[in-house]
Amino acid sequence: MDTIFFTDQLIPALNRGLIMSIKLIIPSALIGLMLGIVIGTLRTFGHSAVRKAANGYAIIFRGTPLVVQLFLLYFGLPNLGIYLDAYTAAVIGFILCSGAYHSEYIRGSLLSIKKGQFLAAQSMGFSTFKTMFNIIVPQAVRRALPGCGNEIIYLIKYSSLAYIITCIELTGEGKIIATRTFRYTEVFLVIGFYYLVLVTMASFVLQKIKERFKVPGFGKA
Amino acid sequence: MIDALIAIFEALPYLLKGALATSGIVIGAMGLGLVMGVHMAVGQVYGNRPTRWFVGLYVWFFRGVPVLVLLFLFYFGLFALIGLNLSAFAASILVLGMTTAAYQSQIFRGAILSLPKGQLQAARALGMSDIKAIISIILPQALRFSIPAWSNEYSIILKDSALAFVLGTSEIMARSHFVASRTYHHLPLYITAGCIYFLLTWLGVRALLKLEAKVRIPGYSQ
Amino acid sequence: MTKPKKPILRVENICKILGGKEILKSVSLSLYKGELKVLIGPSGAGKSTLLQCINFLIPPDKGRVWLEETEIQSHKKRELYTFRQQVGMIFQDFNLFDHLNALENVAIALRKVKKMSRQAARDCAVAELERVGLGDKTTLYPAELSGGQKQRVSIARALAMEPKIMLLDEPTSALDPELIGEVLSVIRNLAQGGMTMILATHQIGFTRSLADEVLFMENGSIIEQGTPEDLLSPDACTRSRDFCSRLNELYEEGV
Repeated sequence: MDTIFFTDQLIPALNRGLIMSIKLIIPSALIGLMLGIVIGTLRTFGHSAVRKAANGYAIIFRGTPLVVQLFLLYFGLPNLGIYLDAYTAAVIGFILCSGAYHSEYIRGSLLSIKKGQFLAAQSMGFSTFKTMFNIIVPQAVRRALPGCGNEIIYLIKYSSLAYIITCIELTGEGKIIATRTFRYTEVFLVIGFYYLVLVTMASFVLQKIKERFKVPGFGKA
Repeated sequence: MIDALIAIFEALPYLLKGALATSGIVIGAMGLGLVMGVHMAVGQVYGNRPTRWFVGLYVWFFRGVPVLVLLFLFYFGLFALIGLNLSAFAASILVLGMTTAAYQSQIFRGAILSLPKGQLQAARALGMSDIKAIISIILPQALRFSIPAWSNEYSIILKDSALAFVLGTSEIMARSHFVASRTYHHLPLYITAGCIYFLLTWLGVRALLKLEAKVRIPGYSQ
Repeated sequence: MTKPKKPILRVENICKILGGKEILKSVSLSLYKGELKVLIGPSGAGKSTLLQCINFLIPPDKGRVWLEETEIQSHKKRELYTFRQQVGMIFQDFNLFDHLNALENVAIALRKVKKMSRQAARDCAVAELERVGLGDKTTLYPAELSGGQKQRVSIARALAMEPKIMLLDEPTSALDPELIGEVLSVIRNLAQGGMTMILATHQIGFTRSLADEVLFMENGSIIEQGTPEDLLSPDACTRSRDFCSRLNELYEEGV
């Protein structure tokens, strides 16, 4: 096992890929979560037509493979004259897909808030906005935290799919080197290790956040 | 527009054969995951420390590494290393099976832990060995309660099966891409592929709901 | 008790249909300062709905409400919120905010609605919790409190807003029997201290000893109205008396 291969060729390339992966993950996670919050809220409290549309979006993007969605964005949209570069197509795909999953967790958490919480706040003169902001949202966030947190961890892993539509991130860089040198096992073990570190760190952060917001007796409804 | 519809129509039989391959992958992977998952769950709940440690490590690895990376790692790397010469189809089943085993083991573990302690105590009091108690008393209940989460896992594996196409397996995704590259009707073909996946998800989830209703224990809800 | 001339709360012709059924049939009442009016009657009579219509948590189909001679324009949001700050409500299910401890439950409306400073709100909250006997439980969360303690926190929370009147919707119905006493004693103190209240309850003994007026509701209307002596004494030939005897048979309460 020559370490030169690792230090001179593999690690620099993988680090390059890692940076691209992070560039994919961070905007997708943040915007996807925001989209999920909006859609989840619309699915819970919106008017009938809005709810149907939002539910339709969630069903489609949760019911089809992410690969298909990415292919549609990168290879399919050109049929309509829309040309997206690989990075943009990947990020849009990740946002739409994870947004649908987030909306599911947000909707579940909003539905689990007891009606009495609204009533008590309103009976004391809280405006609708103040009720949502001070009473409902703090409870909904705590309930949605495990689900949404896990979804972001999933996103870290599924960012590897960007390689399939030619956006070369961590997995892509590895595949290039592995194909050239035939050292598949070593390369992909190292890549696996990179992802394990990312995922483990993210899980650790999620656990810390859960502990920070913990309230005695406040579990699932 | 019309030629797009014609392209879909002509490609449909070809795509649906791909759906057979996809179904094969999913059934194989879910089956493998079920068998491995139950064993790992029982090992984690009732086993000794080395067993628990091993299962923990396995779950951490297979849940932490992306499926795409695992497919490349095993098919091009590890299988070749140990001289295992598998087709892309078989390799996909094996890798996806090992991955879902990790998730399924946690589903079953959760279900087992949610049962009241008295179940095992009563079984032991009747003179059953632990193995017998687990097989006859614990698992029948735990598996029933796992059906909803298992159904969720099914739809995840169905979607992950699309990744088998990077290994060259001739399933839905591979076939759609093949036809699209030749006819340039990417958009309609991938929409069709999406619809086929949708249909397979719906059919599977409905079947599992029927199964859940069929095996339900009267009056027993969690 | 001599009644001052003008009522502090006036409710006229409240009508409400819920789920196709007429829950309130043109109900009217007047409440004077310092009075304790008690609503009694069978379940489904409309007692809860009436109370929740008074502070517009349930918007009535028809009817008008005046607080101290000012009519409440419920469609004007700001006016409605101000009105609700002056009307304290106690719920059967307590409805404490689950993510906040006892102190924060009492303080939150003071900070967010009345815009008090954090320290002032805190001091006020501590004082109110001490008044209901929970000064040592300020840091506990709702899940850690007994039913009686939860209800007392909710009373402290309502009182902290310095309401002009209080509406109590069966405050002890969700409590285990041994916890009812601690809540009734807090309510008794409030009444004796001059708080103006409408109380819906099944506690007949309490009603007889403290109510200024008893209103018997059935099927969405106030059937009988009068002092406890008129309606509930053993020789009264009233529907109220009938209802109470039946209640006593069920709950074996000494009347």
